[in-house]
Amino acid sequence: MSRTGPERASSAAGAAPMIDIRHVRKQFDVRGGGEALVLDDINLSIAANQFLSIVGRSGCGKTTLLNIIAGLDAASGGEVLIAGRRVVGPGQGQGMVFQQHALFPWLTALENVVFGARSLPLAKAEKIDRARELLQLVGLEASAGKYPREMSGGMQQRIAIARALALDPDILLMDEPFGALDELTRIEMQQELLRIWEARRKTVVFITHSIGEALTLSDRVILLAPHPGRVARDIAIDLPRPRSRTDRRFNEFYEQIWSGLSS
Amino acid sequence: MRQQLIQALVALLLIAAILLGVEFGVREGYLKAYEFPPASRIAQGFVELTTVGFPTGVTIWTHTFVTVMRILKGYVAAIVIAVPLGLLIGAVPVLDKMTAPLIVFFRSVATLSLLPLAIVWFGAGELTKVILIGYGCFWVMLSNVIAGVKYVDPALIRAARSFRVSGWTLYREVVLPAALPRMFAGARVALGVGFMVIVGAEMIGTIQGLGALIMEARSFYRSEITVIGMLVIGVLGFLISSGLAAFERLLLPWGGGSSEASR
Repeated sequence: MSRTGPERASSAAGAAPMIDIRHVRKQFDVRGGGEALVLDDINLSIAANQFLSIVGRSGCGKTTLLNIIAGLDAASGGEVLIAGRRVVGPGQGQGMVFQQHALFPWLTALENVVFGARSLPLAKAEKIDRARELLQLVGLEASAGKYPREMSGGMQQRIAIARALALDPDILLMDEPFGALDELTRIEMQQELLRIWEARRKTVVFITHSIGEALTLSDRVILLAPHPGRVARDIAIDLPRPRSRTDRRFNEFYEQIWSGLSS
Repeated sequence: MRQQLIQALVALLLIAAILLGVEFGVREGYLKAYEFPPASRIAQGFVELTTVGFPTGVTIWTHTFVTVMRILKGYVAAIVIAVPLGLLIGAVPVLDKMTAPLIVFFRSVATLSLLPLAIVWFGAGELTKVILIGYGCFWVMLSNVIAGVKYVDPALIRAARSFRVSGWTLYREVVLPAALPRMFAGARVALGVGFMVIVGAEMIGTIQGLGALIMEARSFYRSEITVIGMLVIGVLGFLISSGLAAFERLLLPWGGGSSEASR
């Protein structure tokens, strides 16, 4: 393993970031020879409890980057540290919420959340207790016995959030979780997510196509430019919450991100 | 509701019209009774089959019982072998690549074309019939089990991996349940194949069974008996298929009962 960064923050340092992405690159072999560079030298430090959104066009590598942080994909170069520990696989403090249809259809809402705690060394009863608590957190304790197909898209994504929290992760990685929802449900879910984030402080990395969504939610917005994927802008959003879409500064940020995306 | 009633009524009237037309046509000499057996003849034939039997001494109940037993033996044997084998092949990509051409080949060979060889190998007795049915059911079931395991939604596998679930646990708790609907679909199609093969398999070396009944009736120009044999096979297939669908709903309550369940 070649360590590309000269400065390697010791994990003992108090100000160490929760997630430290260092010189991460990713290339895929292309059928018929050659390689496609998807991510090129990504460097990001994400502080604990920060809510960070990544915005970019389709194909800019945002999902790939998220999968690398999650430990589901390996980087071709560079490394990701979580609380100072190098990521070698899932379950190092990452919880993952996928776009949609990632609940297990043969398990009830409660069983899906219990599955999230599958790898914990707990007794079955304790896992069930924990799952019930999480269902309560997302406001769906009454739907514990329902199967995913019996629930609306918004409810399914709440269950997915509860499931992702089952391992009590430090980090919540969300891959366009509300992308398939209708506009009204989407806004409700954004408020819901902020409420959960207030209740259980987590570091969140949130991927979205929607500038408005990123601005409503985040402390910080990263613009990813495509071909190859690289950080184009890094914008701190210092607006108080709850945020209003008609606010003047909200719209200034919106313009700033939009110009970054279309340039 | 009202529209459904009208549709059913129209369908019934149409059937009644056809039956009456045939009845009238035969009575007036426009149609030959052995080409178009009228309903009255079929009813008489059914009474004969339940009392005297055809050939004498073999009632419709015996024919039905013998046929059902043959199908069940071949079918159950095929399922019992195909399921574990398919689960294995589907899980091991190398095995899948090696066996895929063979499976396509054997599946494409029309089962009844094996009849001459099967008689040489296993004689003209019971074994040959059961083996032919088993052969037909086996390849259909096998390819469906393999497909079920192979084409599990990758999103579900990623989700499970994000909870540190992998290896045998992943296979048992995610791949297997995700493959079940496809396996049930395969079981239904395989049963249909069993019913298709049975008539041919019973053409030789027996006077018992619905296939034998149909062939025997043909030799005596008793086409009304042939029609009864067809009807009984149709009703049996429908009943068993509905039974399987009910079993599936019971076993997979989360599936929502696939709409083609009764096909």
